[in-house]
Amino acid sequence: MKLEWVAGFGFLFGMAGLGTLRGDDLEYNRDVRPILAEACFRCHGPDSAARKGDLRLDQRDRAIETKAIVPGKPDESEIIARLESTDPEVVMPPPAIHKIVTPEQKELLKRWIVEGAEYQPHWSFIAPVRPPVPDVKNKDWAKSPIDDFILSSLEKSGIEPAPEADRRTLARRLSLDLTGLPPDPSDVDAFVNDPSPQAYEAYVDKLLASDRWGEHRGRYWLDAARYADTHGIHFDNFREIWAYRDWVINAFNRNMPFDQFTIEQLAGDLLPDRTIDQQIASGFNRCNMTTNEGGVIPEEYLVLYTRDRTETTAQVWMGLTAGCAVCHDHKYDPISQREFYQLASFFNNTTQGAMDGNIPNTPPIIQVPKVEDRDRYEKAGAELGAVKTEIETHVAQCKPAFDQWQATTTPDALLSMVPKEHLAFHAPLSDGTENQVTLTVAGQPRELTMTTPIAWEPGYAAPKAIKTRPETPIEVADAGDFESDQPFSCGAWVKLPADGMTGALIARMDESSGYRGWDMWIQGNKFGSHLIHSWPGDAIKVVAQQKLQPGIWYHLMLTYDASKKVEGVKLYINGQPQPVDIEARDLKGSIRTSAPFKVAQRNSSARLDGIVMGDVRIYSALLAPADIARVAGATRASYLVGRPAAERSPQEADELFKWWLPAVDATYQQLSAKNAALAAERSAMEAGGTIAHVMQEKGESAMAFILHRGEYDQRRDQVTPKTPDALPPMKSDQPLNRVGLAQWLLQPEHPLTTRVTVNRFWQEIFGAGLVRSAGDFGISGELPSHPALLDWMAVDFRENGWDVKRMYKMLVMSATYRQSAITTPEKREKDPENRLLTRGPRFRMDAEMIRDSALAASGLLSAKIGGPSVKPYQPEGVWEAVAMIGSNTRDYRPDSGENLYRRSMYTFWKRAAPPASMEIFNAPNREVCTVRRERTNTPLQALVTLNDPQFVESARHLADLALQEGGDSDEKRLDYISRRMLSRSFNPAETKILLESLAEMHAYYTKETLDAQKLIGFGESKFNPSTDPVALASWTMLVNEVFNLDESLNK
Amino acid sequence: MELNHLLQEMNRRHFFRQGGNAVSLAALATLLGREGAQGAPAPAARHVASGPHFAPKAKQVIYLHMVGGPSQLDLYDYKPMMNDWYDKDLPDSIRKGQRLTTMTSGQARFPIAPSKYKFAQHGESGMWVSEVLPWTAKCVDEMCFIRSMHTEAINHEPAISYMQTGNQVTGRPCLGSWTSYGLGSMNDDLPTFVVLVAKPSNTEQVQAISARLWSSGYLPSDFAGVSFRAGADPILYINNPPGVPKEIRRKTLDGIRAINELNYQSLGDSETQSRIQQYELAFRMQASVPDLTDLASEPASTFELYGDEVKKPGSLTHCMLLARRMVERGVRFVQIYHNNWDHHGNLAGRMPDQCKDVDRATYGLINDLKSRGLFDETLIIWGGEFGRTIYSQGGLSKENYGRDHHPRCFTMWMAGGGSKGGTIYGETDDFSYNIVKDPVHIHDFHATVLQLLGFDHERFTYKFQGLDQRLTGVEPCRVVKELIA
Repeated sequence: MKLEWVAGFGFLFGMAGLGTLRGDDLEYNRDVRPILAEACFRCHGPDSAARKGDLRLDQRDRAIETKAIVPGKPDESEIIARLESTDPEVVMPPPAIHKIVTPEQKELLKRWIVEGAEYQPHWSFIAPVRPPVPDVKNKDWAKSPIDDFILSSLEKSGIEPAPEADRRTLARRLSLDLTGLPPDPSDVDAFVNDPSPQAYEAYVDKLLASDRWGEHRGRYWLDAARYADTHGIHFDNFREIWAYRDWVINAFNRNMPFDQFTIEQLAGDLLPDRTIDQQIASGFNRCNMTTNEGGVIPEEYLVLYTRDRTETTAQVWMGLTAGCAVCHDHKYDPISQREFYQLASFFNNTTQGAMDGNIPNTPPIIQVPKVEDRDRYEKAGAELGAVKTEIETHVAQCKPAFDQWQATTTPDALLSMVPKEHLAFHAPLSDGTENQVTLTVAGQPRELTMTTPIAWEPGYAAPKAIKTRPETPIEVADAGDFESDQPFSCGAWVKLPADGMTGALIARMDESSGYRGWDMWIQGNKFGSHLIHSWPGDAIKVVAQQKLQPGIWYHLMLTYDASKKVEGVKLYINGQPQPVDIEARDLKGSIRTSAPFKVAQRNSSARLDGIVMGDVRIYSALLAPADIARVAGATRASYLVGRPAAERSPQEADELFKWWLPAVDATYQQLSAKNAALAAERSAMEAGGTIAHVMQEKGESAMAFILHRGEYDQRRDQVTPKTPDALPPMKSDQPLNRVGLAQWLLQPEHPLTTRVTVNRFWQEIFGAGLVRSAGDFGISGELPSHPALLDWMAVDFRENGWDVKRMYKMLVMSATYRQSAITTPEKREKDPENRLLTRGPRFRMDAEMIRDSALAASGLLSAKIGGPSVKPYQPEGVWEAVAMIGSNTRDYRPDSGENLYRRSMYTFWKRAAPPASMEIFNAPNREVCTVRRERTNTPLQALVTLNDPQFVESARHLADLALQEGGDSDEKRLDYISRRMLSRSFNPAETKILLESLAEMHAYYTKETLDAQKLIGFGESKFNPSTDPVALASWTMLVNEVFNLDESLNK
Repeated sequence: MELNHLLQEMNRRHFFRQGGNAVSLAALATLLGREGAQGAPAPAARHVASGPHFAPKAKQVIYLHMVGGPSQLDLYDYKPMMNDWYDKDLPDSIRKGQRLTTMTSGQARFPIAPSKYKFAQHGESGMWVSEVLPWTAKCVDEMCFIRSMHTEAINHEPAISYMQTGNQVTGRPCLGSWTSYGLGSMNDDLPTFVVLVAKPSNTEQVQAISARLWSSGYLPSDFAGVSFRAGADPILYINNPPGVPKEIRRKTLDGIRAINELNYQSLGDSETQSRIQQYELAFRMQASVPDLTDLASEPASTFELYGDEVKKPGSLTHCMLLARRMVERGVRFVQIYHNNWDHHGNLAGRMPDQCKDVDRATYGLINDLKSRGLFDETLIIWGGEFGRTIYSQGGLSKENYGRDHHPRCFTMWMAGGGSKGGTIYGETDDFSYNIVKDPVHIHDFHATVLQLLGFDHERFTYKFQGLDQRLTGVEPCRVVKELIA
C-alpha cells in the first residue's frame, strides 16, 4: 500500500505506471521505455556521439543483434545480467552516473523480455487515427464526445464527476476563458434568466463573436511567438513590430483556419500574390532576439537567429525540443544533429543581417498603411504602376514633338523661363573679356574691372565660365545684404577641380565679429551653408550629404525662409532638394554685416581657388522648388539650344530631351503630376501607418552547415532543407522552402501538428494539457493522460477544416468543462491535480487577465484594439536599472490618458525588463518561445494586487461607480461591486465580513481625512468631485479587499 | 496510510512556508530521499533538489560581478616586464592567431600598453596589488586569488551569461538560482535570492545587463532573484498606497483571509490556503524590508569602517553594507552588479573611480563580516566576465590607453565561506595573454563554488527536456581543491 502510493504520486497520477505492478498487459511506451530512457539511453540511445560499446537499446533489432536482449529469455539477456551484477566494473547503469534501477523495475523488464520484448514506436510519432468514442455507463452525462472519453476514465477510477456549476459561475468562467475579461453584469443576468434550452450555447456564441476573443487567444500565441517590443540583446532598443501582434489578433477574430494561420506565419512572404497581411504574418520569424553589440562576430549571431527560428517552429508546431540536437544527436528523440541543421536550413536563407542596427525598422521590412487605408494604398500602387507605363509609352512616342520644338525654340525663349522677379543680384560670369565682368545689382547693370586678366574656362550654362583666382577678386559692397528675418535664395553653376576642397563659394560674412553673415560653403567637397549671428552658439549650419565629384558641373542653390530655424534652410543640387546633416541649429540674432559680398571667399579667409563658376544669382525671396529646378534646367538648356544641333553630343541631345519633358511637354507634365500625386498619397499613408518586419529569401537556395558542438566557427558538412526521417517525408510537390515546410506540417500523416495544437487549446481552458509537457511531445515528455481523447480531437480538428472557434466551442460546451470546481476530500486525494478532470477548471489567472479584470470591473478599461504598444504605470527605475546608457528603452515614461487603461497585451514589452507587475505573475520575458507559463503563488504577487497604482486606482474608480450608481445602501453598493467583479452576489457571511471591514475603514478615514485625500488622489483618472472623500476612501479600500480575494484572482 | 498522511502534512506545511508546487515537491524530496534508501522507487524525485551532498562550508554568498570586464593588468596581474615593451607590437608567438573582437581585429598594430600603476606586495601571501586598491591590499591574506580564469566568450552579452549561468546562450538558471534551489530559504520574511544593481560613480562605459541574468531559467521561478532597488521602494510594490497605514492594511488582510477561508471551505482548493499564507508573508515582508534597508540602527563604527560612500543610496558600498545586513538576516544569495568596467579607452580616466567604488567597500565588507562572525560561512566572490588585452585599443600613451576584451585570462577572487585565504592560484605569461599554469575555466570555478556550498556539481542536477541539466554543463571540469580551505 505504502509503496504503491508513492509510485502513483511519482507519476503524478498520470494514467501510466500504476497498472503495471498489478499485472495488466505490459506496454513498451508506457511501462518499459521510461525505465530504459532514464537509465540506459544516455549512452545506448539515439545519440551516436555519446554511444558506448556500440550498443543501442532504443532499437529492437540492434538490441537483439548484440544479444543485449534475447526475447523470451531474460536469463540470456545481457541487459538483465548487467542490471543485476554486483561487480562495480560490470553493473549497469555505472555507479558514476547516479542512476538507480529499482528491483521492481528490473522485474518489469524481465517480464517484458519473457513476453517477447516487443517495442513500439514513440506514441506521438504515429499519426493519430480517430478512435471510437468509448462506451460509458452513465449515458446522461455526456454533452459532447469529449465527455465520453473523460467519463470513461472516471468510471474506471470509480470517481463521480462534479455537478454542473451554477450559471453565474459558468458565465464568469466562459467569459474569462473566451474573452479574457469578466462578463458585463447585464449579460450575466440575461444568461441566468434565459429560459431557452439553448441559453448556454447562445451565451457561448455571443462571447465567441466578441472582438475580445481575438485579443485573448492572440495573447497566448504571442508567448509562443516570443513577441516583444525591443530587440532584446545589448542596447535592447525599440523594435516597431506591433503590426504582427495586430495580425495575430485579427486572424483569431476572423477565425482564420489553423492551416492557413500556419502557412502565412511560416511562409507568408513566399506565397504567390502575397498580400501585405501575409507578409506581416511572416513576422513570426522576425520576433526573435537580435543584437547590435559592437565587436560581435556576425556569423555567431546569424547562427543563433537560425537556431532560434528552428527551435521555435519545432516547439510550437511539433512539440519537439529540437534544440537538444544543436550540439549532438538528440539524446532521446530521433533527431540527429544532421537533421537539426537540415531543418535549420529552411530558416537559414534570409536577407536579414546579424546586426539590428539599434533601429526600430531593421530590414527586411515593408510599409504597412492603416487598415482603413490598405485598399486605397494597394489601388494607388496599381495606379502608380499604370501611370509609369503610360509615361514610358509617351516618352517613347514623343520624339517628333521634341524635334519640332527644338527646331523652333531660341536660347532667349528658354532663359525667359528662369524667374526674374526678386532677382537682386546676377553675375553670369561668362563675359570672356580680358579683365571685365558685367553684373546686375538691384536691376542696374554694373561693371567690375580687374587689374589682372581673368582666367576663363569652358562653361556649362554659357560658353565661358570664370576660374576663381585671388588676383581677380569679385567683391560687391551692396549685394546679399540680408537680415535673419528676410527670406533669400542664391545659387550658381560650380565645378570643383579636386577632391577634399573646403572654403566659401560665395559669402557675405565678417569673420572678425563672430563670423556674422551667411555663405554657400564647400566642406570636403560637400555643399553646405552657414547663417551666423555668432559662431557657434548662435548659428545655423547644414551640409548636404552628397559628395560633389571633381571635374563635374553642379548647380547649387541655397534657400532660406526667414524663420531662423534650421528646417528653414534648404540646399538643392541640380534642382533637387538634398538631405542634410545639421551641424548647428540655434540661430537667434541678426546675420546682417557690413562686410562686402564676395565670390570664392569670406571677407578675409576660406578662399576657394581654381573652381569654375557661372551664373551666380541672388533672389530676395524664397524660391519654390519648381523655380529652382527651372533656374538649374533652363540656364543649361538655353546654352545647349544656343549651339547648333549638329554640334551637340548624343549625351547632350539626350540631356536636352530629358529636360524638355518635364519643363515643356504638357502631356509629360500632366502624367508626372499624376505620378507625383499618387506617390505622395502612398507615402502619406505610409507615414500614417507602421512597418512590418518580414522574412525575405536570398536569391540562392537554402543550405546550412552542420556545426560541431553547435559552434558557429566549427563548420562541418553542408546540408540542404530536409525534414527528419522519423516523421513522414515531404511530398514531391512540396517546395524545399518554408512553404513546403508549412505544407508538410499540415499534411494528414503528420503525427504531431494537430495533437500539439489541440493540446495547447486544452491547456488554455483546463489549465494543463492532456500532455502536460505542452512543449515536449518527445520521448522525454510526459505521456497523455487521455491518449484516445487527444487523438480524437486531433483528427476532428483537421477533418473539420482546422476551425479554431469550433474546437474551443466544443471544449466549453462539454459537460467536463461545465463541472463545478468543488474539490471533495476524496478527489483531492485520488486526483490532486485534476488530471482526471474530476471537477471543473479553477486556477489563478495569468498576469494580463488579473489586471484586465480589475480595469474592466472598474469601468476604466479602454476598448481600443491594436496600435502601438503603450506604457501604463510602472515603478520608477525598472528599465533604468538594467538598460545601457544611450538605449532608447532606458527611460520609462508612463503614458497618460487612455493608454494607461489599455488591455495588458498592449503593454510595451522590453525584453531586458518585462512589465514589472506582470513578470511577478509569471509572464515570460519573451526572449524565447514559451508554450506553457508557470503558475506560482508568491508574496510578491500579493504586493502587486494590493499596492500597484493600477489596482488601487481601479479600486477607487469602481468605488466611485458604486457610490454613484450602486444604490442607496451599503448592501446594494457591495452587491454592485460583487456583480461586476465576481458575477454573483456576496452571501450573508461574506457580506457581514465586508461590512465590518467597511465600518473600520470608515472610522479610520473619518478621523484621518488627510489620508483619505491621499488615497483617492492616487492615479491619474478623475473622480466625481461631489463624492464624499471619506466614503470614497473607505469604499476604495473595500474594493481593494475584493480585488484581492482568491476568487477574484482565479477563473 | 501513515505515509500518505505525512506527505499531505508536509505538503501543506510547505505551502504555508513558500507556496508553489516546486516547493511541495522539495518537501517530497526529503522524504523520498529517506525512502529511497529503503529501496522505494524514486521517479518523483525527478524535479527535486535533495539538499546538499555534504556539509556546506559556505552557507551564504555575496557575489560582486564587475560588469564590463575589469583589467587584470591594472589591478592584480602584475607584469613588470611589460615596461620594456611599451608601444612594441604584441608578438605573434603570444597572440597565436586567437580571435579578437571586431572592435580591434581591424587594427593595424597591437602595441603593448604596460600598466601605468605601481604594484606592491602585501600580506603574508605576498600578493601583488595595484596602487589603485590600497584598502583591498590590506585584506589579501583573507582572499583567494585566481589569476588564471578563462572563458570562450568574447563579447559582453554571452560572456556575462556564461559567467552567471554556465552557458553563453541565455535561458539557463544563474548561480544564485541554483543555490536557492539547492539550499532553500533561511528566512521566511525575506527573499532567498536578492539582486542589487549598484550605481557606479562613473558611467562612461556602462554595459547592458538584463533581468534575464537573475532569472531561474528552467528551474521553477520561485528560485529567481528578487531585485532590490535603491530608495524608498526597495522591493517593487512593497509600500502601501498613500493614505493606507499598516493598521488599515492589516484590516484588509483580515477581511481577505476571512472570506478566503469561507471560499476554501466551499471549494476545497488547496491553493486558496496557500494564498492566505502568501498574503501573510507579504505583510511580514512589508515590515522586515524597511527594517533591512534602514541603516539608522547601524553603529558609528560601521560608517567608519566603510567610509562615507556607504551613505549614498545605490552606491556599491551601500549595496555591500545592505548585503551584509541581508546575510545577517538569512538571505541565502546576494548578487551585486557593478558596472562601467569596459575600458576600451581612457582607462586612466575611469579606473580610479571604479576602484574608489569597490576598494574600501571590499575592506569594509570583509572586516564587517569577520567582526560579526559571519565571514567563515559567507562566500564573497569578485570578478568580471572576462579580462582585457595587454595591447592598447585606440591611442596609446604612457599615461593613458584602452584595452579590448580578453577571454584567455583574467583574475577573480573569493573570500570567506571556506575559500582558502592567502591563496594566489594560477599564472599567466609575461603579457597576461595566455595562461601558463593552473587554468581555471568558468565551469571549474562554478564546480568549486558548488563544492563550497555542499554540492557535487556532477550530481547537482535538474531534469529538463529529459536531460539532467547542471550548472557546469557536459564538458568535463574539476573542483579546484587548492582554493578550498
